[in-house]
Amino acid sequence: MLLANNISFKRNTKIILDNINLTLSPRKIIHVTGNNGSGKTTLLKILTCILEPSVGQVFWNGKKIKKDPFNFYKDVTLIMDKQTSNLTLTVKENILFWKKLFSSSINMKEIDSILDLLSLREYNNTLTSNLSYGEIKKLELSRLVIEQKKLWVLDEPYLGLDNHSTNLINQTLINHIKSDGMVIFSSHFSPNVPNLEILHLENYA
Amino acid sequence: MRSINSILALFSREFLITYRNFADILSIFLFFLLGIMIFVFSIGPNSEIFNQIGIGIIWTLILFSNNLTLRKFYQDDFNDGSIILFHMSGLSYEIIVLIKLIAIWLFFQIPFFIIIPIATILLNIEIFNIKIIFLSFLIGSPILTSIASISGSMNLLNNKNFAIGSLIVMILSIPIIIFNVGMINASEEVIKAQLSILLGILFFFLAITPWISAACIKLALQNK
Amino acid sequence: MKFLINPNRFNKFSDLILKPFIFISIFLLILGLFFAFYLSPNDYQQGSTVRIMYIHVPSAWLALLTFLIMTIYSIVGLTFKIPFSFIITSAIAPIGATFTVICLITGSLWGKPMWGTWWVWDARLTSVAILFFVYLIVIFLKNSFTNILLGEKITAIFVIVGSINLPIIKFSVDWWNTLHQPASISKLSASSIDPSMLRPLIIMTVAFTFIGLVIAILRIKAEILDRKIDK
Repeated sequence: MLLANNISFKRNTKIILDNINLTLSPRKIIHVTGNNGSGKTTLLKILTCILEPSVGQVFWNGKKIKKDPFNFYKDVTLIMDKQTSNLTLTVKENILFWKKLFSSSINMKEIDSILDLLSLREYNNTLTSNLSYGEIKKLELSRLVIEQKKLWVLDEPYLGLDNHSTNLINQTLINHIKSDGMVIFSSHFSPNVPNLEILHLENYA
Repeated sequence: MRSINSILALFSREFLITYRNFADILSIFLFFLLGIMIFVFSIGPNSEIFNQIGIGIIWTLILFSNNLTLRKFYQDDFNDGSIILFHMSGLSYEIIVLIKLIAIWLFFQIPFFIIIPIATILLNIEIFNIKIIFLSFLIGSPILTSIASISGSMNLLNNKNFAIGSLIVMILSIPIIIFNVGMINASEEVIKAQLSILLGILFFFLAITPWISAACIKLALQNK
Repeated sequence: MKFLINPNRFNKFSDLILKPFIFISIFLLILGLFFAFYLSPNDYQQGSTVRIMYIHVPSAWLALLTFLIMTIYSIVGLTFKIPFSFIITSAIAPIGATFTVICLITGSLWGKPMWGTWWVWDARLTSVAILFFVYLIVIFLKNSFTNILLGEKITAIFVIVGSINLPIIKFSVDWWNTLHQPASISKLSASSIDPSMLRPLIIMTVAFTFIGLVIAILRIKAEILDRKIDK
């Protein structure tokens, strides 16, 4: 269970987040909304211990994540709106890299079926630089399944995805929830997922 | 073990990416050789002069070539968020720095073992003891890579002043040049003394570089 | 002592001492120059050109002292997370750079009548030249980040790295010097200086220190105001 307590964040005297509290238990999805600049990305970075809050603590299963971040990371997948897949590697090489990096127990058959689902199988041996933006985005999202972690933190996952892929992602999220997973994501887009809890962030002048 | 898997994964990624960009590596060595040529053009092909200053020219150009590797360390991985990914797989930033150091040293410094003899041939330098040159380069080049790592990590969010990374590398590399060039054609005790000093500097830099580079990376991540 | 790490205390304390320090520094400067150019004797070998030493040496010492203070503040600022330390570091960096330039120029002026050249690569001048470059890099580095607070911290790290490297560089330059044996500009080991020469030297050093402190106080106060306006 992820718990955030009185999270505030200031950058150079500008208040970005003020007194944010949230609880994320298994089988729940939180959708973070807010205008541009309201701190959605900042909040997600704070929740995954990438950024240190000015005030407040984040707890994972009762322990402060700052105390032992690597233990926390064993249960988290973070996907930002950046593409961590390297453009000079092929799709397959990127996936194999992620598999080895996270010591994932996923096998090649499952990987192939994921690629099939994402319509990326044909690009197995293509350099990532030859893919379109949406296809690279889908490749990035495949990390969710490869890393096999409980907590999914996603920043603008729907950007650049077509309808088919959007439904795919929604289905993946729902399946993840069903197997005791938890998701927190930020998006301007309101997905068609049931039982969403919405956390709205304000802009501070 | 998970960490060893992650470390190996990172190494293979580095090798694969660098190998795919082989032209990049070759360009740096071409820079070195072109530099040698430019020195010949500016000074004249008189071999006597080069006998005296040849090793100095070679080491200077090695130092300048080191400047070109600055962006390779962390900039790309920082920009696309990969470095966060590596961290979240259980590797501390210090280990990531160390892996990068080793990978870049292997690709961008080791080939100099072939290039330096070529340069000495081009400049017609009489070398009495090539082993000393190789030994001094073996100890000096990791120091240069460490300095480049420190400078590269400091300049991650620097988008105004592009030359300052090179300035930092050059200033910190002054002792290495002095001791490495001084070792050539010197007497035995002096060589031994300088080698031990260089070794000391090497161990010092190997100790502080992961810590300093990791600190700068964390600072950059906090302020992105 | 809180004024060393707290901007408000610093402002109050500096308001008290600024005027007295200005008077002290002017007085000491005049006294020192008087001693240096009138009351102290000519050197046996160098004649009256040795008097440039009374500006050259104190500025060298102050260039080093300023860097030492910058290093201490950088370590304190990074370890204990005191933002005021970085303000002090960036405020005194140009002062140290100026002292370095004064040292280099006076060294050059000293060298011309002595050895016929404007520049000589002896151990001290070379080390000071390197120190000058380090100062410039510190000043440039701080200004190359759009985020000022980040720039200060990175600069602090560089100051620490630089300060550890400066003894290494000084040592290697000394070694390089003995290898190549050029003329040496220094006759300044304390044991060999006549007391009549030592007195103006010390007065000038203290005078320079106070001048440096006055300018530092003005710069720091200006920087504090600057940050307040940004808020």
